[in-house]
Amino acid sequence: MLLPWYALQEGLDSGAWLGGLWSSEDYGSGFAEVLAQGKWWLSPALLALMGCFGLSLLPIPRERRGTCLAFVAGAGVVLFAAQAWGIGLRGWTAGWLTALFGEMESRQVGIGAGAAVALIALLSLLSIGLALRGAFGGDAFVAGAVTAVATSILLFTAWPILRILLQAFQNGDGAFEPALVIERLSAAKIWSLRCLSGSGRCGVAWNTLFLAVACGAGTTALGLAFALIVTRTSFRFKKTLRVLTVLPIVTPPFVIGLALILIFGRSGLVNQLLEWSLGVPPTRWIYGFQGVLLAQLFAFTPVAFLVLIGVVEGVSPTLEEASQTLRADAWTTFATVSLPLMRPGLANAFLVGFIESIADFGNPIVLGGDYGVLSTEIYFAVVGAQLDYGHAAALALLLLVLALGAFFLQRRVVGGRSYATISGKGDAGLPVPLPKGARRWALSVALPWATFTVLLYGFAFMGGLVKVWGRDYTPTLDHYIKAFAIERSASGLIWSGAAWNSFWTTVTLAAIAAPLTALLGLLAAWLLVRQRFVGRAALEFATMLSFAVPGTVIGVAYVFAFNIPPIEITGTALIIVICFVFRNMPVGVRAGIAAMSQIDRSLDEASATLRGRAPQTLIHVVLPLLRPAMVGALVYGFVRAVTTVSAVVFLVTAEYELATTYIILRVINGDYGLAIAYSSALIALMLAAILLIQLAVGDRRLGRRAAQLQGSRA
Amino acid sequence: MSVEFRDVVKRYGTTTAVSGISFTVETGSLVTLLGPSGCGKTTTLRMIAGLELPSEGRILIAGRDVTRLSATERDVSMVFQSYALFPHMSVLDNVCYGLRRSGHSKEAAAQQARAGLAQVGLAGYEGRQPSELSGGQQQRVAVARALVLKPSVLLFDEPLSNLDARLRRQMREDIRELQQALGLTVVYVTHDQQEAMAVSDRIIVMNVGRIEQEGTPRDLYERPATPFLARFMGESNPARAHLHRLDPQRLRVQLGPATIDIDNGTASDGEATVAVRPEAITVEAAPGPANALPGTVVKASYVGTHIEYSIETEAGTLFATCPQVDRPLAPGAAVALVLAPRGVIVVESR
Repeated sequence: MLLPWYALQEGLDSGAWLGGLWSSEDYGSGFAEVLAQGKWWLSPALLALMGCFGLSLLPIPRERRGTCLAFVAGAGVVLFAAQAWGIGLRGWTAGWLTALFGEMESRQVGIGAGAAVALIALLSLLSIGLALRGAFGGDAFVAGAVTAVATSILLFTAWPILRILLQAFQNGDGAFEPALVIERLSAAKIWSLRCLSGSGRCGVAWNTLFLAVACGAGTTALGLAFALIVTRTSFRFKKTLRVLTVLPIVTPPFVIGLALILIFGRSGLVNQLLEWSLGVPPTRWIYGFQGVLLAQLFAFTPVAFLVLIGVVEGVSPTLEEASQTLRADAWTTFATVSLPLMRPGLANAFLVGFIESIADFGNPIVLGGDYGVLSTEIYFAVVGAQLDYGHAAALALLLLVLALGAFFLQRRVVGGRSYATISGKGDAGLPVPLPKGARRWALSVALPWATFTVLLYGFAFMGGLVKVWGRDYTPTLDHYIKAFAIERSASGLIWSGAAWNSFWTTVTLAAIAAPLTALLGLLAAWLLVRQRFVGRAALEFATMLSFAVPGTVIGVAYVFAFNIPPIEITGTALIIVICFVFRNMPVGVRAGIAAMSQIDRSLDEASATLRGRAPQTLIHVVLPLLRPAMVGALVYGFVRAVTTVSAVVFLVTAEYELATTYIILRVINGDYGLAIAYSSALIALMLAAILLIQLAVGDRRLGRRAAQLQGSRA
Repeated sequence: MSVEFRDVVKRYGTTTAVSGISFTVETGSLVTLLGPSGCGKTTTLRMIAGLELPSEGRILIAGRDVTRLSATERDVSMVFQSYALFPHMSVLDNVCYGLRRSGHSKEAAAQQARAGLAQVGLAGYEGRQPSELSGGQQQRVAVARALVLKPSVLLFDEPLSNLDARLRRQMREDIRELQQALGLTVVYVTHDQQEAMAVSDRIIVMNVGRIEQEGTPRDLYERPATPFLARFMGESNPARAHLHRLDPQRLRVQLGPATIDIDNGTASDGEATVAVRPEAITVEAAPGPANALPGTVVKASYVGTHIEYSIETEAGTLFATCPQVDRPLAPGAAVALVLAPRGVIVVESR
């Protein structure tokens, strides 16, 4: 044990700990802490480690050794966790522990490098033990991977969310008061329905729900119109419509809101035009429900489109042809066959819109005005003057319940009833063109919408190129210069622009997080698709669940969970990276699962029977075949890390400021020019990154690869 | 003994795929696991490979207990139904894969791989991609890839099911030839009874997770122990008959008005189910010989090499194949059926 057990104030790279490994309480290694500092509670973990080492030397049969190893290492892990959570900064963390063991003189801070290594070693030994007993197909690598993925999800997704639950039940001093959560959740501010009678404002819970339902319905209708046009008409600009789907991925979520302000805001174009031509005084009508809804519709329609295009394409043309041979005309076929077949997909799209809406933070904070929703309310409870963590936790709990409720509803309603009719069998039918009425409806909805989206982005871009929007339309590059100025001086280049600091932090942290996201996601996907082990269903459920948890909730949860020992990382870059990784990992998992289910399972098995161990199989067989998915996960991990707001808004510090949070602060301060200039630069950067990668991947002729996979099977 | 199963059980959750089977495979022999789909034969094969671990019981390979070992740690290799050639590697790289993983140098691996490819008649194809080969060639690459590791047991999982009929016969002869020339121990899985009979030293017939019967191809065809086996190994007509023992070796089977004396030392007197092979029925114009079974033709289909008849008799509707195609009998014709003793099998007696 050559590393300091506890976390260091000044970081591991300072080297100051080298001299204090034995003597100092702060810098001591695990053994030193036990022997010299009398921290007896650390000894079980270390003894377990030594025990396992001893076991591996004993000449005992394989299975018995596995059992012993698993038992000893498992006990070590449990005792490690017990001491880590049981003993905190001020001795025992709970009253009953003090009562049981007497007063604790000593204290301990967060775990450091030494403790982390010890924990990892114990977990690896545990998995080796289990593998020796024949679990996980007898493969130690698989066992280790499962343990690693499960532990990290437990620590960085499940534990923080559990912590929120706890926090909601605690009062300001950390005491447990179950009544408090009821009091917090029954406040009039949350549940009031006065807006319906016209005598005041509704509670934030209702606000959130109304908005989410409207957003879900709106995006579904719009998405369906787009999907029908692209798949079932001979509309000429289909390709252009598809480009729209890329936009929301690269756009920080509040940019639409900003653009709407430029058009409809107090000093926006519309208001100015009205004032100039009719003398109507400028209004603030864009701020509130209608503004947020509008922004969300623009932002999330592409997502619904992506969901629905798969659904519409999945309706088998043969079924429609069958309907037509049974004397049904085009419209009857559409109404009685095609639409009912799409129904599960429509429900899916609605719920996606619903979840996106309640999780959205950027648009409500920019456009909400008095119309508070849960995510903004949580933000103000944590960041604002109230500083009421309990209140924030209770609201986050409510938001979580809403999101999970929608998630479960989706699985219950849609899960078992997918009519997607794409199968291995050739389907020779031709899609039936849309009946006239439906076609006219789709076009009349979708086209103006698409035009407006383009306009919005155009204005958003132009907003960064004029002096002061609404007052002085002189073209200028001032905002860009202010943000991205580089000065040449005697000592070399100086990055003097206001945005550089947050820009580089964002890019660096995102670049660190993206490979980790892709790796962990694909590893989890590989385990879920290819390996059979106890708890597989639970693991799959856990990864999918974190999909549904709104970013705001994750952010708050991280603040609560990681600002006290044993894992004390609030305010560091580490917590932001971890947040990025575990927020975006489900995407990697999904991409991996989708790609992996197209690769014949017997390829893995062939490698195994050819003496390829699991890691070799991964490197030589699975990863080369998964390269497109891997690239996708990488890009997505990077882009999402750059554009995310809701989760990290609680985690940033002056030292580690991120681009999006920096922009949001500029917007809240009314400094639109700089914010817009910065956003445009970000969008351009992301677009360039995506295009570059698409070119690189496109060159690998995926069609041929698919043909090869088929060929080797045929 | 190369492979030994001792009371092996495999359960998935609550369903039992394999329920307590024991068998041994002698070194240098080709043993086939045969059965309808879902009978547990592929699960059994995968347990030999180590791709599935048994829920209960022991598995020994070459005398060593491998019950808990993963596929990688066992000295077996497998030819997959889909061939499972790595699509991103050349033919040579595919064959080298296992050699490289077991620690051979690049040159040594390539040399052995070339020899292996030559053995299956694919010298000169080293640089091709799997997608550039025909189905039969891919199959050979898969065999070479498994062969070069010189495993104690070579496993085949329905290796011919993706080939057309003509190629199938060719490949199964090649596999048998290679197995006998190299003295390989092979466990082979198929659901095709003819294929099994053509390649095997011994056949293990499985049904719903159990071993139904085990023996040489001739044993199983001529002396099926159960009605299932009589049905599964070739065509057969089940019929109720009366048995009467003539002496310790001979048995008289009374099938309606017809009597057939067969060799049988075990069945006892009384009612029993017998199986009649369609090729053992000679169809003659009525009235025919004295011990013949009278009947009426219901259906007649000409299939080239023979004519298939459905004939209604006192013992039930019998299916018969008749090699005389010159004078087909029309439906409604009265016929007399002569049953050859070797095609009448007692499968169940009470």
